[in-house]
Amino acid sequence: MALEKGDTSVTRWIMIVIICGVILVGCGEKTYLPREINSETDVCEVCNMSIVHNEYAGQIVLKNGDYEIFDDIGCLMDYIELNGDGEVGAAYIKNKATNEWIDVYKAIYVYNKNYWTPMNYGVIAFATKDEAKEWMNDEEEGQLFAYRDLLTLNWGIHE
Amino acid sequence: MKQIMLFFLFFLMTSQTAYAEFDIQYAIDQAKAGDSIHIPAGRYQGNFTVKKPIKLYGQKGTELYAQNDEPVLKIEHVSNVSIENIRITAKNKGIVANEADNLELRAIELKDIRVGIYLQQSRHIRILENRIIGNESHFAEKGNGIAIFKSEDVVIDQNTIEQVQDGIYVEEGTRIDVQRNKVTNSRYGTHFMYSSNVKVLFNTYLQNVTGLMVMMTTNLEISSNTISAHNGFNSYGLMMYDTQEAMVRENSFLHNRVGVALQKSSVIQIQENRFQMNQTALECTKVDERSIIMDNQFTGNILTARSDNRGLRLIHNFYDDYTGLDVTGDGFGDVPYVAVSSFGQWMVRQPVYQFFVASPSVVILTSLDQQINKTERNLLVDNEPKLLSNMKEIEFSLNILQLVIGFIVFMGSLWLWKRGIRV
Repeated sequence: MALEKGDTSVTRWIMIVIICGVILVGCGEKTYLPREINSETDVCEVCNMSIVHNEYAGQIVLKNGDYEIFDDIGCLMDYIELNGDGEVGAAYIKNKATNEWIDVYKAIYVYNKNYWTPMNYGVIAFATKDEAKEWMNDEEEGQLFAYRDLLTLNWGIHE
Repeated sequence: MKQIMLFFLFFLMTSQTAYAEFDIQYAIDQAKAGDSIHIPAGRYQGNFTVKKPIKLYGQKGTELYAQNDEPVLKIEHVSNVSIENIRITAKNKGIVANEADNLELRAIELKDIRVGIYLQQSRHIRILENRIIGNESHFAEKGNGIAIFKSEDVVIDQNTIEQVQDGIYVEEGTRIDVQRNKVTNSRYGTHFMYSSNVKVLFNTYLQNVTGLMVMMTTNLEISSNTISAHNGFNSYGLMMYDTQEAMVRENSFLHNRVGVALQKSSVIQIQENRFQMNQTALECTKVDERSIIMDNQFTGNILTARSDNRGLRLIHNFYDDYTGLDVTGDGFGDVPYVAVSSFGQWMVRQPVYQFFVASPSVVILTSLDQQINKTERNLLVDNEPKLLSNMKEIEFSLNILQLVIGFIVFMGSLWLWKRGIRV
């Protein structure tokens, strides 16, 4: 009889822990992690090109959990301009220096019309200013931009 | 016996050796402007550079190969160069031409290369009758068969290209003629970006991800091409994105996931094409009202057309699923053909729905559509659908040569039979 009482008590505690866990998870901020690109099936949401140059790719994780993939930061910005960022959970772009995903809103961008990108927009992303400057030392000099500058950039091929 | 075997082994091993006494780069350096250099048959290792107006001819069996990542042949800042009849093997790029004028590359075989021919800032170029074969890796890891950047007046004629990323890639090109080429098993058969004054004629695109990809390009003529078997998850026969002023005429779109797709494009004329056995024949999004789809034949497609645009004009096309009559006898149906399909419109928004094409529920839905949509007046409506297919004309054509040969063989057989000769 004593054992049965103990069992009931343990079960009650387990239930309380599970309920608390569920509540905590529910109240916690949702994380939107990037996923890897699959060149076989992923195409740019805007221009339809398949993603073969991973080092320029971008992605938006929507709040409903869907992923929108882009081959170039210009296409990602085109999507945001068209759809707004209300449904955007997170947005990522590849760091040209390390080929790792970085936050679109925090990235440092370098623009030069002669930089080659899949859509020839000439904008490349880096995690830090130092990485961007190192890139410019090896390649041509470019203009440094923050995310807010991309919102007003005249996207397209530039003569 | 052993000596004979050794002799044959020795012969096999030495038959491919380079002609050590012929130094190609030395011959190029010593040549005067306008000279022709005939390279003896053999294998030559190295990276060769042409900077003067000469002609390089390889004898049958001439092969150049590079063991490093540098191009086998570089042609730089020069006019009037011709290269012909050479086989090239390279890990990275085969031929690179930079700021060349009046260059001809003919009958060159490039095998196991990453990029076949790479051309930039050049003009008056002819790339003829070459054969380019990539490697077995995934297209994301390959380069292009023929890549052209910032060049003008380029003719790409009768080339065969297989297993590369894009068979022919053109970026910022002007006056580009792509004709009579065959591209198979690559990502895009031909890919244009930011180009103008382009002609794509009599090419064959087969089993690529997409046959013809046209982006941000103006003033095109795409005629008499055969574009077939592009049926992967994201495949198109012809995809036009942000394209203006194009004539797409007399092409055959066969067995593709989508025959022709137009996005953000304007002033596109699609005329007299054959759309046969495609999953979706025609898909249009954000296409302007000046674009027309006229005198085409739609046969055996699961979905004829889908669009988000009320202004897309279908005129005088033939549809094999049209059930109307021609009481007036003018060759056109008396009631409009309505291509609207609820399922098709959903597929525009969610391509993954393609997996339900031809499922029983979709067939029922399409049948319901055909009854309900009879009142549709704007979206995907052809008010005068053609009742007779132009293909009938082809069925009655005669091949004179075959007829003459057949007649001669028949008369010959008759003569032999009459003379009683046993064959």
